[in-house]
Amino acid sequence: MNKVNTIEVKELTKIFDKTVKAVNGISFNVKEGEILGFLGPNGAGKTTTLNMLSTLLRPTSGTATVNGHDILTEPDAVRRSIGYVFQDTTLDIELTGRENLDFHGRLYGLDRNARQQRIRELLELVQLTDRADNLVKTYSGGMKRRLEIARGLLHHPKVLFLDEPTLGLDPQTRRSIWEHILRLNQEKNVTIILTTHYTEEADYLCKRILIIDFGKVVVLDTADNLKARLEGDVVSLLFKNPAAIETFRPLLESKNWIHQINVVAFGNNYAAMSRMMQNMPTMSGNMDIGRTMPEMDSRNIGDHKKIPKTSQQKSEQPAADESLQFGGETCAKCLNLLVDSGGHRIPEIVKLADEAGVILESVELHKPTLDDVFLSVTGRNIREEKGSILDMVRRHRIMRQARGRRVRG
Amino acid sequence: MDGESEVEVTEWKVKHEMVQPLSGQAIYVVLLRELKRYWRAKARVISSVAQSIFFLVIFGLGLGDFMGGIGGTRYLSYIAPGVIGMGLLFGSVFSGVSIIFDRQFGFMKEMLVAPVSRTSIIVGKILGGATTATIQGIILMTIAGVMGAFTISFTFLGGAFTAVGVMLLITAGFVGLGVAIGSTLNDFHAFQLLSTFVMWPMFMLSGVFFPIDGQPLPLQVAMSCDPMFYGVELLRWCLLGSGSELLGSFGWLISLAVVAGFDVVMVGVGTYLFSRTQI
Repeated sequence: MNKVNTIEVKELTKIFDKTVKAVNGISFNVKEGEILGFLGPNGAGKTTTLNMLSTLLRPTSGTATVNGHDILTEPDAVRRSIGYVFQDTTLDIELTGRENLDFHGRLYGLDRNARQQRIRELLELVQLTDRADNLVKTYSGGMKRRLEIARGLLHHPKVLFLDEPTLGLDPQTRRSIWEHILRLNQEKNVTIILTTHYTEEADYLCKRILIIDFGKVVVLDTADNLKARLEGDVVSLLFKNPAAIETFRPLLESKNWIHQINVVAFGNNYAAMSRMMQNMPTMSGNMDIGRTMPEMDSRNIGDHKKIPKTSQQKSEQPAADESLQFGGETCAKCLNLLVDSGGHRIPEIVKLADEAGVILESVELHKPTLDDVFLSVTGRNIREEKGSILDMVRRHRIMRQARGRRVRG
Repeated sequence: MDGESEVEVTEWKVKHEMVQPLSGQAIYVVLLRELKRYWRAKARVISSVAQSIFFLVIFGLGLGDFMGGIGGTRYLSYIAPGVIGMGLLFGSVFSGVSIIFDRQFGFMKEMLVAPVSRTSIIVGKILGGATTATIQGIILMTIAGVMGAFTISFTFLGGAFTAVGVMLLITAGFVGLGVAIGSTLNDFHAFQLLSTFVMWPMFMLSGVFFPIDGQPLPLQVAMSCDPMFYGVELLRWCLLGSGSELLGSFGWLISLAVVAGFDVVMVGVGTYLFSRTQI
């Protein structure tokens, strides 16, 4: 199919205070009806890009067209073409859901009949009809999000920007928001750009994924193609003694069937996390409350057996500096190996470990996920907060700059 | 600015910010929202009306009847227009400053990303704030009337009618002042400062409690610098009649001119500062 480009971005750049490059010459196109995902860590430039595309922020250089309108010269036409669901809620909580929608409709110049009909239709779409006349301050987080998505669609935009649409929502609500997004994309043929730092979200929703880091496009491709880039399987090794990572690593580096070696936080995989959370009630029977994050990983790939820890083993918990931060929790480090054929190589790896006198606590095998892709193209784990100090400072600075920015009105 | 040349920025602003047309519907919807929020915030309305009633009772009836009136007018009648003015002043400045809340709770973004000019948004905000503060003023005027502050006559009704117009005129400028302050300040903590150092002095110096004539010179100067003073003069002129002994030496025409001038300046400054705010 030869669809037209709804969004064309050329060398878009935003520099804050002459030095901070929040967005650094990015170019891409989005086809009509496509869902494109911006995947990247906090401060990567996702929101700044959306703010420029929505004409809230003026690019330092470069330009873009949205629905055929230039963001520099036709801001009003661009604004009419887009719906923007911001990261933080932008509803008036002192008004009802219906009034919030009505306000939006009037602001975008819809007449009374069109407004009322459209509001009814959208409330139906996001299943808020029965709560429409309650004040928004009585809504749950998921309801507010749904209302905002409905509001973003009210004026029949061709393009919808969703900035972290499921940030801070529980797994069920996240799932239902995803279904809503997919449905409106299919039923209304709305072109969508969404930003996220959840790889599973990007994988599930987006036709193509644009990995962005430090304001640059790292890679842009379909999720399947991205995963296919990593030929082979990922084998994760967790050691009893984390210090063994450094002694064992050189032995692996000499093997030509290992394509990549990365040190990551064990169990740091969104898919596994969310599955774990959904399975929580059924799992509780055989779950040891005292277990720490790394062991709660529930990927049942291979014949991996969880070893319950004795109190003695607990004292061997990795020290803080031997571990990585993940969502405020401390996780053990593990080695992720990209190997050509995992199943066949596991015995070999175990043998190597035995010979080196290194004790493995667990070995896991899985097909490459977007997490692995992200790690492979950026050299970092997407939710890993540590990284180098310099990176952190840089990121922090960009975030600060991007927040306190005046917007175009 | 972000390192762009001034000329380029100015050109761009002229093209995209300054000349955006006013949209009637956008103004109307922002105004409508102010009214709805006002209508729902009954606790706030009641508490501020109650505050004014305290002033009327304690100072007007209690202190006033004990000390005697001013120039043959009962003290309650003398301070009533000023107490109404207080309601207008506080109501309008705070409704302007409420853009801080709009920003804090994100709703500002919803307005800013819409295809309407910032000027439309702020004009709606000012009209909305002026309307709600004036409603407050009408409530207070009625209560003062019931308490016997005004001689109800045909002339008075005409004056009361004029007073409503005057109220709108007075409050527009003060909402503009609130918007200017709200665009400059970024947090709620400044509220206390605002109240102590801006609102109360303006109220106290507005000639609510005593005439300007015969006061020490510094006080006279301070009072004549207070825009609210002219507002109270106008209200007194509308509600108590043009009895000369009650009014300052400025006359209603000068007062009207000052209030109108204040409107123009503050609406302009408020709009300008708002167009420069950050999110």
